[in-house]
Amino acid sequence: MDPASTAAERVAIFPGHGARAVSFECRRVCVEFQLAQSIRRVLSDIDFDVYDGEFLSILGASGSGKTTLLRILGGLLFPAKGSVVKFKGRIVDSPPERVVTVFQDYASSLLPWRSVEKNVALGLEGRTTPAARRQRVAAALEMVGLSEHAKDYPWQLSGGMQQRVQIARALAMEPSVLLMDEPFGSLDAMTKASLQDQLHKVHLETGATIVFITHDIEEAVYLSNRVLILEGKPSTIAKELIVDLPRERDQVSTKESAPYLALRHQIYDFINGLKYST
Amino acid sequence: MTSIRRINGPGLMVAALLLVLWQALIGSGLATIEYLPAPASIARAIWSLAAQGQIFPELAHTLGVALLAWAIAAVIGLSLGLLLGCSPFAWRHTMASIELLRSMPSVAFVPVSLLLFGFSVKMELALAVYIAQWLILVNTVDGVRGVTPQLLEVARMLRMSRLERTVKIVLPAAMPVMLVGLRLGLTVSLVMAVVSEMICNPAGLGYQLVFEQRALQTDRMFAYLAVIGALGILLNAALLLVARLIPGVERRGGLAA
Amino acid sequence: MRAVLPRRASRTAGPQSARKTSKVPPLRGVVPFLLFLCLWQLVGTDDSVFYPRPSSWLQALSLLSRQGVLWPATWSTLTTLALSMVVATLVGAAVGYLVGRSPPADRALLPTLEFLRATPAAAVVPVFLVFMGFGRDMAITVVTFASVWPILLNTRAGARALNPVLMDSARSLHLGPWARITKIVIPALMPSIFLGVRVAAPVAVVMTLLVEFIVQFYGVGSLIAAAQRDYASAAVYGLVVVAGIFGLGVNSMVALVESFCLRHHGPGSGRR
Repeated sequence: MDPASTAAERVAIFPGHGARAVSFECRRVCVEFQLAQSIRRVLSDIDFDVYDGEFLSILGASGSGKTTLLRILGGLLFPAKGSVVKFKGRIVDSPPERVVTVFQDYASSLLPWRSVEKNVALGLEGRTTPAARRQRVAAALEMVGLSEHAKDYPWQLSGGMQQRVQIARALAMEPSVLLMDEPFGSLDAMTKASLQDQLHKVHLETGATIVFITHDIEEAVYLSNRVLILEGKPSTIAKELIVDLPRERDQVSTKESAPYLALRHQIYDFINGLKYST
Repeated sequence: MTSIRRINGPGLMVAALLLVLWQALIGSGLATIEYLPAPASIARAIWSLAAQGQIFPELAHTLGVALLAWAIAAVIGLSLGLLLGCSPFAWRHTMASIELLRSMPSVAFVPVSLLLFGFSVKMELALAVYIAQWLILVNTVDGVRGVTPQLLEVARMLRMSRLERTVKIVLPAAMPVMLVGLRLGLTVSLVMAVVSEMICNPAGLGYQLVFEQRALQTDRMFAYLAVIGALGILLNAALLLVARLIPGVERRGGLAA
Repeated sequence: MRAVLPRRASRTAGPQSARKTSKVPPLRGVVPFLLFLCLWQLVGTDDSVFYPRPSSWLQALSLLSRQGVLWPATWSTLTTLALSMVVATLVGAAVGYLVGRSPPADRALLPTLEFLRATPAAAVVPVFLVFMGFGRDMAITVVTFASVWPILLNTRAGARALNPVLMDSARSLHLGPWARITKIVIPALMPSIFLGVRVAAPVAVVMTLLVEFIVQFYGVGSLIAAAQRDYASAAVYGLVVVAGIFGLGVNSMVALVESFCLRHHGPGSGRR
C-alpha cells in the first residue's frame, strides 16, 4: 500500500523530465452502490494522478472496480461525496471535452446502420467542417489500418476490426486522453498482439494520454509507462510500478528482456503475496 | 417468418392443385356443397364486377379509409410513442393506462364509434385510427426503449445533445421495430375499415360482402372476399417492398411477419 | 461515507451500465386513466346520448344483471371462447408440428397457409354464416379459424428449432411414438405453443365478440349490439368495460396456465 502521494515523489517518477503536467487528479475517491438491503463499497480512498502523455495501465482482477474507476474518469459515473475528481483542474461532472472512452463491448458501441467511415465520423459531426471531418476520418482509419474497409458495415468485420473502428472513432476526435476499458479482452491472442502494437504506435505518434484497463499482467507491462494495481474489498490502489522500458517495444524482444521479466516477476510476486497474506 | 425469396415451386403447385381440384369437383357438378361456388364462377363474378365498374368505387372507399386512417394513426402513434419512449417519467406514469386501453377488444369500440359518429365514414375512420394507433404507439415505445444502453452511453461519452442523440441514435436504432408496428397498423386499419363497413357504414367492400351474403349471391360474396383478401396481401407486400429499400432492414428484424 | 446515488442517468454502475428497462409498466401509470374517469364522472350527465358518465354505466350493467341477461351472456361468450381456443390450440399445434418437422410439407403447404392467414378473419364471417347458419358451431369455427394462425406458426417455429439431440435420445431409449410425443415432443414444444396461445387469445376474444355482434349470436357481443341499436349508450359503455375485463381476464388466465405448465422449464424458455 504505497501510493505516490507527494509532489516530490511524483516528480521523481519521471527522472529527467521535470515536473509533469497533470491530466486527471483523484483524491479520496470512493464509490458505493445501493444494493437491495445494503450498501456495497466498491472503491475506497483512491488517490492518484494521471500525467499528460503517459500510458497508464490499471491492473486488477475481475470485479475489482477498474471499469468503475474508468467510468468515473470519463464522467459517466459519479463517486461518493467527499471524492474529488478533476480533469485539467476542473471538477468532472460530465464527460469532459477531449476525453474519449473506448468500451469493451465494441459490437454494441458501433452503430450497425452506419458504415465504418460514418461510424468514425460520429464524434465529429457538427463540430468541424465537412472537409476537415473527412480528412480526420481518413487519417484515423489509416492509423488503425482500416482504410480499405471504409465503406463496409460493422457486421461485415471481425471482432478485432470492429474494435479498431471504435479506436479510430476515438482517434478521429484527436483527444487529449483516451480511456480504454479492456479493449482487447475478448480478442484472440494474435489479434490482441497486433492491436497492442498498433495502439503503442498510436501512443507514440499522437502523444495522447492513455488510461488502459486490463486484467492481463503481460499486456499491462508491455504497453505502459506506469501500472497501478487495484486490489482489496473495497478496492484501493495496492501498488504502483514504474515501467522503465525503452520507448520502442516489440512483442518478441521486449518480452524476453530482463527489465520486462523483472517487472512481470514483481507483479506476480505482489499478487501472490496478497493471496497468502489475506 | 423469413420471406421466401425464391419462388416456392412445390408450394405454388400445391395451391394451384387445390384450386384445380375445387374447380373439378364443384364446377363439373360431381360434388355439390350447398352455396359453395366453383373458382371459375368466382373469377367470373370478379370480372363482371370489374367490367361493370361496380367494384371500383367500393374498393376506393375501403382502400381510401384504410390508408387515411393509417396515416393519421402513424402520426399520432409515432410522435406519442417517441415521447413516451424517450421519457422514462412519462412512461412510468402513463404506460399502464395505455396497456389497459389497448387490451380492450377492438370490436367493443364499434358501438362507441357508432354512438359518437353515426353511420358514416367518420365512424369508420375514427375506429380504424383509434385501434391502429395503439399498435403503432406500443411498437414505437418498445423500439425506443429497446435501444442498446451501450449506444446511449456512447452518445453521453461523445457529449451529444438530446436532439442529436434522438436523431442519430435513437430513431435509427428503433426503426426496425417501428416499421413492424407500421405494417401491423396498416393491416389492422384495413380490417377495422372492413368490419365497420360490414356492421354499419353502407359503403365499401365490407358492406358489399354482407349485402351479397344476405342475397345469397355466393359467387359474388366470394368475389368480394377474394378482393378483400387480395387487398390485405397487396398492402402488406407493398409496405414490405418499401421497407426493403432501407439498407440493413432485414438483418435488423424490420421485416418480421 | 454516506451512500451514493449517482446523480445522473446511469443508475447502476456495473461494467456494462444496463439501465434497467423493465417490461412491465408500473401500476401508477393507471392514474391518468382513473383521473380521466373521475373527470368524466364530475362533468358528465346521466342522460347524455354520447357521453354518459361512469356511474350510469354501472347502473345500466346492474339493470342488465337483474334482468338475468348479463351473466348468461357472459357465460355464453366464455363457452364459445374456451371451446374455440381449445380447438385452435389442438389443430394449430398439430399442424404446426407436422409442417415444422417436415421440410417438404412445409414448402408445399406454406403459400396456401400464408394466403389463408392473410385473409381478414372478420371478412370470413359472412361466408361461414352462409354455410353453417347462426349456431354456436359457426361461431366456434370462425373464431378457431381466426386464432389458429399464431399457434400454428409459433409451433412450426418451435418444431423447426427442436434440438435434434432430443429426438435422438427418444429413439435411443426405444420410446414408442405415443410416449415420444407425450413425454418429449409436447413438453419441448410447450413454450412455443404458449407463445402462440398468448398472441391468439386476444384475437379470439375480438372475434368472438365480433361474431356475436354481427350474427346476433347470444353473448356479450349481441348485448352490445342490442344496446347500441336502442341507443342505450350507458349500457354500451358499460358493456365495453365488461368486454375489456373479459380481455384482461383471458390474458391473465392464459398467463397463469402457462406459468403452471412451464413451471419446470426454467428461465428463458420461450417467454419474451
